[in-house]
Amino acid sequence: MTRPDTRSRRQLALMLAPYLVGLVALVLLPAVVTLALAFTEYDLLRPPTWVGLDNFTALVDDPVFRVSLTNSLVFGLVAVPLRVLLALGLALLLHRRALGVGSARSAAVLPTAVPEIAYGLLWLWLLNPLYGPINQLLRTGGENGLTALGRTPPQWLTDPTDARAAIILMSLFTMGETFVVLLAARRALPRDVYEMAALEDATGWDVFRRITLPLMAPVLALLAVRDLIQSLHFSFVPAFVVTDGGPPPYATTYLSLFVYRNAFEYLRYGYAAAVTLVMILLTVAAVLVQWRLVRRYRAFYGV
Amino acid sequence: MSEPGLVLDGVSAAYRSSTVLHEVDLAVRRGELLVVLGPSGAGKSTVLRVVAGLEPVTTGRVLIAGRDVTGDRPGRRNVSMVFQSYALFPHLSVAENIAFGLEVRDTPRAVARERARVAAESVGCAALLDRRPGQLSGGERQRVALARALVREPDVFLLDEPLSNLDLALRVEMRAELRALHDRVGATVVHVTHDQTEALVLADRIAVLRDGRIEQVGTPDEIWRAPASSFVARFVGSPAMNLLPADGPVRPAGNPPPGAPVTETGRLDLGFRPEAVTVAGADAEGTPATVDRVDVVGEDAYAYLRLAGGEPVVARVPAARRPDRGAAVRIAVRWADVHVFHAGSGRRYSP
Repeated sequence: MTRPDTRSRRQLALMLAPYLVGLVALVLLPAVVTLALAFTEYDLLRPPTWVGLDNFTALVDDPVFRVSLTNSLVFGLVAVPLRVLLALGLALLLHRRALGVGSARSAAVLPTAVPEIAYGLLWLWLLNPLYGPINQLLRTGGENGLTALGRTPPQWLTDPTDARAAIILMSLFTMGETFVVLLAARRALPRDVYEMAALEDATGWDVFRRITLPLMAPVLALLAVRDLIQSLHFSFVPAFVVTDGGPPPYATTYLSLFVYRNAFEYLRYGYAAAVTLVMILLTVAAVLVQWRLVRRYRAFYGV
Repeated sequence: MSEPGLVLDGVSAAYRSSTVLHEVDLAVRRGELLVVLGPSGAGKSTVLRVVAGLEPVTTGRVLIAGRDVTGDRPGRRNVSMVFQSYALFPHLSVAENIAFGLEVRDTPRAVARERARVAAESVGCAALLDRRPGQLSGGERQRVALARALVREPDVFLLDEPLSNLDLALRVEMRAELRALHDRVGATVVHVTHDQTEALVLADRIAVLRDGRIEQVGTPDEIWRAPASSFVARFVGSPAMNLLPADGPVRPAGNPPPGAPVTETGRLDLGFRPEAVTVAGADAEGTPATVDRVDVVGEDAYAYLRLAGGEPVVARVPAARRPDRGAAVRIAVRWADVHVFHAGSGRRYSP
């Protein structure tokens, strides 16, 4: 078998075509248009007018933009490590064959399979300060609507800090994909290395610290960066459905919600496009980090 | 018997529902190198894994240095093991790999590194300490795995086919080094292999395993000269020993062993190695045979013969005087070179 001849090359091009058409028409062109719109003023009704860098100077001075950028970054830096840690913990707990492990694995993946809006509505009920099961649980043993320690239970939907925590809490349970990847990664590790460690009487903590963690580090790092990129997007539905960007002042307004509001509620499409550009730049930065990690681990393991 | 290094007392082991070891009794003296030899699936590796505690026993006891360790977890048995795959930690340097066992046992880092260096020197891989396993050749990995086993001075070394992943030249070299290392260190070693040459060269004693049962335990000389069963006789030696019914076509020359009239009964087999067969021209004395095929291996040639009744016989002849394919020849053996076995049980016949 040598290089594909003209005929098979034509077949390959034909098979690739639908994907390429979709990519260009549905992703690349809109992206370029958005990029261009970032330098215009556009309300979706009248034709856009060129305003140069005005949108960006306005962004720098916009306190709401700064709040949403901070919110997004904090969400990413707190929620993503927690998600990966939770997924890792579950993967290490459930990688062996044992009674009930299959059901437990399904349960771990299940929240990820629930449609996002339904998931959001479910949490709206769970988090209800008065009737929600979470706070009912926290109030057990306490009196006068306080917790057993005599504190006020978290006001998930009205207190800014509690609301941010609620969004992070929600995002933890949708780590099904991360869990599946880590489960597969753990099961792919060689068994004899663990038997070797058992012969040396290594403790569970030593095995985790000296063997499992370093061997899974490449996968963990890649998943963390992937989740970091994804966190720009998966903060949208919870903030939109559960907290509506509030409580004031904009406690759970993330970049994605900020873009949505500006584009479709305030009809400032050009302004929203400028924020989208910022999000794209953040994503590119994360992808660069990812590339460096991949190259480093390649050199490290000589693959 | 001198101090026991390792004793298996009626040990059985099962994998899932099938029994892979059947009440194995085995005693290894302190400082002895015992080779467990057997075909694939005989349970050789299971013997090691049971000693190491990686596989539970269903019955019986395991004693290491006189201590009953049957219920102890692997880390408490003070054994070290070289896996067939070497099981090196890919993310650790050679020095860290060797020092691993010391460091998880809370030996100070500097001491652990120094002992790792000494162990590496004793197997000739001191130059590799800063490399990672991915950068090593098969032979180098093998040395690192050995150094890791050596560094902790355990009661028993368990080697699971450590030479099987090496090419032939390297295997011969490592075999000699392993023997020299054992003579120097004087440790109790259980070495598992399916390679009979390796077993004969390395071992103080050999235990031949078949289907989870011990067929024979003995020195290489005993295994070679007085195989306890036709299985041992045919498994050790290449090409395998010839085995023919005692009342068959081949009548050895000389004095038969005393006792029963061996050739009269149909319940005995005669075994003789290819080296014991003399091949002469068609006009000589002996059993007539035709030459099926001749394999030449340097100075030697192995003639695959067929007797009048269709029975196959292999004979070793000098390559220079090998018979032609299809030639008619006469073969002869002497009683002195013949082993007698019971045909049914395969056990060695003793008058």
